[in-house]
Amino acid sequence: MGNGKQTILELDRIVKRYRTKGFFFGAHGQDVIALNEVFIKILRGEIFGLVGESGSGKTTAGRLIVRLEQPDQGKIYLDGRDITGLKGKASKDYSRRVQMIFQDPYQSLNPLLSVFDTISEPLIIHKIGNAEAREDSVWQAMKSVGLSPPHDFAHRYPHQLSGGQRQRVAIAHAMVLKPEFVVADEPTSMLDASMSAQIFNILLEMRRRLKVTFLFITHSLAAARYLCDRIAVMYKGNLMEIGPAEEVLRNPKHPYTQALMDALPKFVHSGGVKRYETLLQAEREVSGYVGCPFFVRCKVARAPKCSREKPPLKKLDDSHSVACFYAEPGIKTRSGGKA
Amino acid sequence: MSGKSLDNRRVQKFHWMSRFLSGWAIFRQSFLGKIGLTLLALFALMALCSFIPPLVDPMYQPMAGVDPEISTVTGPSTRHWLGTDFMGRDLLSQLLAGARVAFMVGVSAAFMSVFLGTAIGMIAGYMGKFADTLLMRLADIIMVMPALVVLLMLAALFGQLSIWFIVFFIALFRWPGVSRVIRAQTLSLKHRPFIEAARVAGASHLRIIFRHITPNVLPLSFLYMTFQVTSAIIIEAALAFLGFGDPRTISWGMMLQWVWKTGHMFNAPYWLLPPGICISLITLSFYMLGRAMDEVLDPRLRKEGQTD
Ligand SMILES: Nc1ncnc2c1ncn2[C@@H]1O[C@H](COP(=O)(O)OP(=O)(O)OP(=O)(O)O)[C@@H](O)[C@H]1O
Ligand code: SF4
Ligand SMILES: [Mg+2]
Repeated sequence: MGNGKQTILELDRIVKRYRTKGFFFGAHGQDVIALNEVFIKILRGEIFGLVGESGSGKTTAGRLIVRLEQPDQGKIYLDGRDITGLKGKASKDYSRRVQMIFQDPYQSLNPLLSVFDTISEPLIIHKIGNAEAREDSVWQAMKSVGLSPPHDFAHRYPHQLSGGQRQRVAIAHAMVLKPEFVVADEPTSMLDASMSAQIFNILLEMRRRLKVTFLFITHSLAAARYLCDRIAVMYKGNLMEIGPAEEVLRNPKHPYTQALMDALPKFVHSGGVKRYETLLQAEREVSGYVGCPFFVRCKVARAPKCSREKPPLKKLDDSHSVACFYAEPGIKTRSGGKA
Repeated sequence: MSGKSLDNRRVQKFHWMSRFLSGWAIFRQSFLGKIGLTLLALFALMALCSFIPPLVDPMYQPMAGVDPEISTVTGPSTRHWLGTDFMGRDLLSQLLAGARVAFMVGVSAAFMSVFLGTAIGMIAGYMGKFADTLLMRLADIIMVMPALVVLLMLAALFGQLSIWFIVFFIALFRWPGVSRVIRAQTLSLKHRPFIEAARVAGASHLRIIFRHITPNVLPLSFLYMTFQVTSAIIIEAALAFLGFGDPRTISWGMMLQWVWKTGHMFNAPYWLLPPGICISLITLSFYMLGRAMDEVLDPRLRKEGQTD
């Protein structure tokens, strides 16, 4: 993605904490920091991938964007306007522009509403068109997600659909408002491989036809590579690396990203796979440190710097940034164990 | 296009029907359900028949009709199938009228309490925070108050209570149980992704409550209604038996009170037994109906409500 593209959505140093309850009265549990000063700019028209292992805060980021939750610190801008404090009509208008596809299609559809009613619901909420126009929009949305012929599906209820069909309904539900920005939270993690591929193609087609911008959340590097223009790698709520998908996955600069690549299953014929071995077998013992979030598992870490300071996001070139003291353009971090 | 809409509605109706039929299939396998339903049908028939005796002869009027030739307790005869009470009033017509009153009291009190309980439970569960705490503490307070004792005190203070006041009061005392269950169900629904999807789509709170939450809790409310009917009938009967019923209506509890007050407890079984048996059986049958419905709803609630 070149620099000419304009930013559509911006997360500006977002912090989100969850307060977990203690077991006993008064005893406060520890706060979980789901997002720690996350700074991301998403460009209009791109598919932006958010990858990271389970619990890294990907879903939380998505939920903040669709305003299911509020950040503790930081701001979120859509087209340069802060949306964190929207209320009433402004909030409702926002929901016309920004939608979400949820992870589990078995949970994201109301069991008592037919497919037709589910998809027309957003149109009714926003009072778009009359009954006839709405019906047309619903048929159209159904066709575009591959639920055709539509009248075969319109009157079915969720329990009469397969997982893949349910997810198509959920996508149609998100798309029928013709939003500009869509958060897709692991939309295929509950589906098999061929169904996933079909869903990906639907998303690509949506982007092509409707110029939708996607935030695509996944833990699958393969899916990210196939679908995304740029990706951000998260670890425990921290942004570790951000850049063009191809570049980041082919030539990862952050020890954590490199560890992720190592964790991919290797196939016999996949020649040229690099092994970085940046992951410690046993976690480092640390007490109350404020350094790099990856320090406890980073093999190439160097004390004392890594344990004392949090590495800032450093630009390697104009599109690729890494939050590691020792990442350098063109040089593998692995070779830096000498000092 | 309107053809398609029409089609949509028809299919929807069909869907509800098929849901009902599949529920009915489970219900029919329940032994309790079949007995309960049969008994209830009999009681309903009794309530319907209560209109007949007064038409046959004015002396069969349950309250005001007195046999001109009898002025004391008599046993069953061809003229009075169950006998007469101490003033020569026909016991069978009183028993039939009692069925009507039992249904009226039971169903209307249950309806009101379930309506209140459902509304309050949904508000508490959905709004959470302050409203939740306030409403649930109120529910606790009411729940520990003995309804019967409070009603007796009110009756002692204000003299005879009308039957509608009694119905209303039963409802006022019985909603907390329902509201607790509905609140729990609402809480579990509130964080389900399909509710969040509706929120992301811009749905207002009212729309979420009425479109998404209410239809998912109503089956549960309906189930609770049968149990509420049982307790309403028992409370009214107890009140009437203790002499605090509405003197202008004839309920089975009232009949028992007359037996007791006129000292015929042990020498007029034809007077004592029928209302006693009827009270036991009608509450039992509503209870059995509820249990059977519980069996119908439970797998469905699990299947469509809490798929994991
Ligand atoms: N409602 C909540 N209450 C408390 N903690 C929460 C809540 N939601 C998320 N968290 C915590 O925040 C962190 C980030 O969670 P999140 O769901 O965003 O991760 P994720 O990257 O989406 O993981 P996954 O790939 O498993 O979906 C986790 O440690 C999680 O336990
Ligand atoms: S900053 Fe240090 S600890 Fe963190 S990833 Fe880089 S080398 Fe490892
Ligand atoms: Mg997630």
